Amino acid sequence: MIHFDEMACLLYLEGQLDAARSREMAAHVQECASCRDLLHALELETTLLSSALTEDTEPMPARLASEQSQSMPSWVWTLAFAAFAAGAYWFWNDGIGPWFDQLSNAGFGGTDVFSMIVFSGAFWEGWSDMIDAIQIGALILVAIVAIGWIRRRVRRSVAVAVVMSALLFAVALPQQAAAAEVRRGQSISVPVGETVHNDLVATGASVRIEGTVEGDVIAFTRDLTVTGHVTGDVIAFSQEALIDGTVDGNVRVFSRSVILQGIVGKNVTAFANSVDLISKATVGGGMIVFAAEADLDGKMQRDLLGMIGRTDLDGLIGGQAWIRGGSLVVASTAEIRGPATFEGPQQPVVEAGAKLASPIRTEITQEIQRTRRSAARVVFRAIFGYAGALVVGILLLVIFPGFFRATLRETGSIGLPIGIGALALIAGAFLLVLGVLLLFVGVGAGVAGAMAYAPILYVAQVFVGTWLGNRIMGETAAPTSAVAGRMAVGLLILHVARLIPILGGLVGLAVLLWGTGAVLAGFYRMSRVESAPLPT
Amino acid sequence: MDARRHPEGMSPAEQAVAQERIAQAKAGNAEAWGELYREHAPAIFRFCRRAMPTREDAEDATMDIFIKVRQKLSQYDASRPFSAWLYAVAANHCWDLLRRRKLRQGLETGEVENMPLEHPDPGQLEQLIARRSGQEVRRALDKLPARSRMALVLRYYSDMSYDDIAATLGVRRTFVGVVLLRARHQLRDILEGQGGASLAAGGAA
Repeated sequence: MIHFDEMACLLYLEGQLDAARSREMAAHVQECASCRDLLHALELETTLLSSALTEDTEPMPARLASEQSQSMPSWVWTLAFAAFAAGAYWFWNDGIGPWFDQLSNAGFGGTDVFSMIVFSGAFWEGWSDMIDAIQIGALILVAIVAIGWIRRRVRRSVAVAVVMSALLFAVALPQQAAAAEVRRGQSISVPVGETVHNDLVATGASVRIEGTVEGDVIAFTRDLTVTGHVTGDVIAFSQEALIDGTVDGNVRVFSRSVILQGIVGKNVTAFANSVDLISKATVGGGMIVFAAEADLDGKMQRDLLGMIGRTDLDGLIGGQAWIRGGSLVVASTAEIRGPATFEGPQQPVVEAGAKLASPIRTEITQEIQRTRRSAARVVFRAIFGYAGALVVGILLLVIFPGFFRATLRETGSIGLPIGIGALALIAGAFLLVLGVLLLFVGVGAGVAGAMAYAPILYVAQVFVGTWLGNRIMGETAAPTSAVAGRMAVGLLILHVARLIPILGGLVGLAVLLWGTGAVLAGFYRMSRVESAPLPT
Repeated sequence: MDARRHPEGMSPAEQAVAQERIAQAKAGNAEAWGELYREHAPAIFRFCRRAMPTREDAEDATMDIFIKVRQKLSQYDASRPFSAWLYAVAANHCWDLLRRRKLRQGLETGEVENMPLEHPDPGQLEQLIARRSGQEVRRALDKLPARSRMALVLRYYSDMSYDDIAATLGVRRTFVGVVLLRARHQLRDILEGQGGASLAAGGAA
């Protein structure tokens, strides 16, 4: 007798055989005990499998009991958005605002820890050597965020490929397409008589341009000296920058000191400790200056926009002037052809003989806002800030429970998030400065960048607070109210600690680094939820 | 009966209520959606629990599946049973996760191996089945390779058709039986390893 094999038996049981074969099998089974037994055994196996799989052995976890993440009424989103906006505003007022005030009031010698790190760091001597490393860090950060983002839409390999090629494109192509000449070395010079028919990218301890560059000069160096002729822009990260020759385009400098002695065809943007516009110098366009001190003896044809600690104006401003800072002296030789505005703690000094289109409109700013705050206001703000953080935190917990959990887990591994946070903040600050410097479209771009970053910085405290609460009251993942309670306790401690002078600042900074890193790591984890290893 | 296949076997009136609820949820009624979720989430969670290696994976997958379902609800064709459609979405999601994870670990085995399966001895098979509890079977299932486990879950938990299983696992329709049978053999081997006698008696072919 011809028996049916196991495969056929299974297909027969599952109703997968065609009618003819099925009849054949049915007939065969009538006579063949062996096949009948096999069918019976397979059927038992099916029953066992079925019951084993469907037996209700595990209750549904609490967090799945109701579908929170998706059935949010629209008002919750509105509230969440409002809370985020408010958070960003608070952060702006308490974080960025005073920082800007100090920037303008006292140059870069502020005592605020954050501004000290960012801005003193900017004038650190080893900065030029670090530029490459930080650029790489910034690129990596951008890549991680981009991969995470694209990953939600396409498969991992595609995402990586897209980002990698985009990065390569961004890094390699502009230089090749423009065929920029890249020079590296201890000291780089374009001697008198030499002409570079190209953009020049120079990295070295010192860069001297005595000849001609028919294109842009981009320099990462300690000392930059331009005595020759540059037909394009000069973009420089340096300690000392001296422009003594002729630059037909713009000058964008990020340097400790900037001395302009020659002719600049277009505009000057300078982030510096000191800016000197020597009397024989001419700027064809306007100037934007962020500096501790500026001596402006030369001529600029158009406007001056400055956040400058101490300004001495001896020369000509062809357009209007807007200066915010500590002090302004307008010498007898000075001339401002447009309207002028000064915002600072004291009246500007205008010497007799100075030619002004109109009197300087002056706004006296309170010197340092913080010292003037009454105790009541401090407490009020603290309560307000605490409540805001708590509302944002609870909304986050309710709306994005998965993200919250992932981020909280990251917060637990203290060292890693602090590292990521430090890298992200430095890289972020660097990108901000780079963005303002290179793609200068006004401070607006920088502000927009900071605003996009602000929510992350703001929610940083939520996770550190919840972590702290968990430490004190014991860890829990559910229910939501228990987590919220721990968050409330932790945030309260953080906010009270922040009221302590000096120590409060340090706590704030630590929370910022730690929490930001955790949030970024949380984003990363969420973008690859399926990453846990698969037991085989 | 078990609670997994709700909508089937419902009275016409119940069916009409269910269809109405789906239509309302489609139209954006949050309450109807909530009902739908409460009704189906336990079954889908259990499905994920069986299909995915860890409980946490299953929880995350359940959430993601319902996010997908809500987005795709407009694509649901009412002529098909809702639970079948739901399981198809869930199966695709879970299988996608498992497959990608496997790819990452370089464990993808490609086509179904052609190693011949030994013919079992019905008596011994029956004995083995009689000796094993549901819990032992579940533990053994967790040790199966992803595809085998997935195939068994799709077939014997979700009651999925061979066509749907083929589409989900990305194998040809004719291979589904092979995958299932191989999975049963692997399962038997594991159960046997827990202390049974050998099944492969080389039997009556």
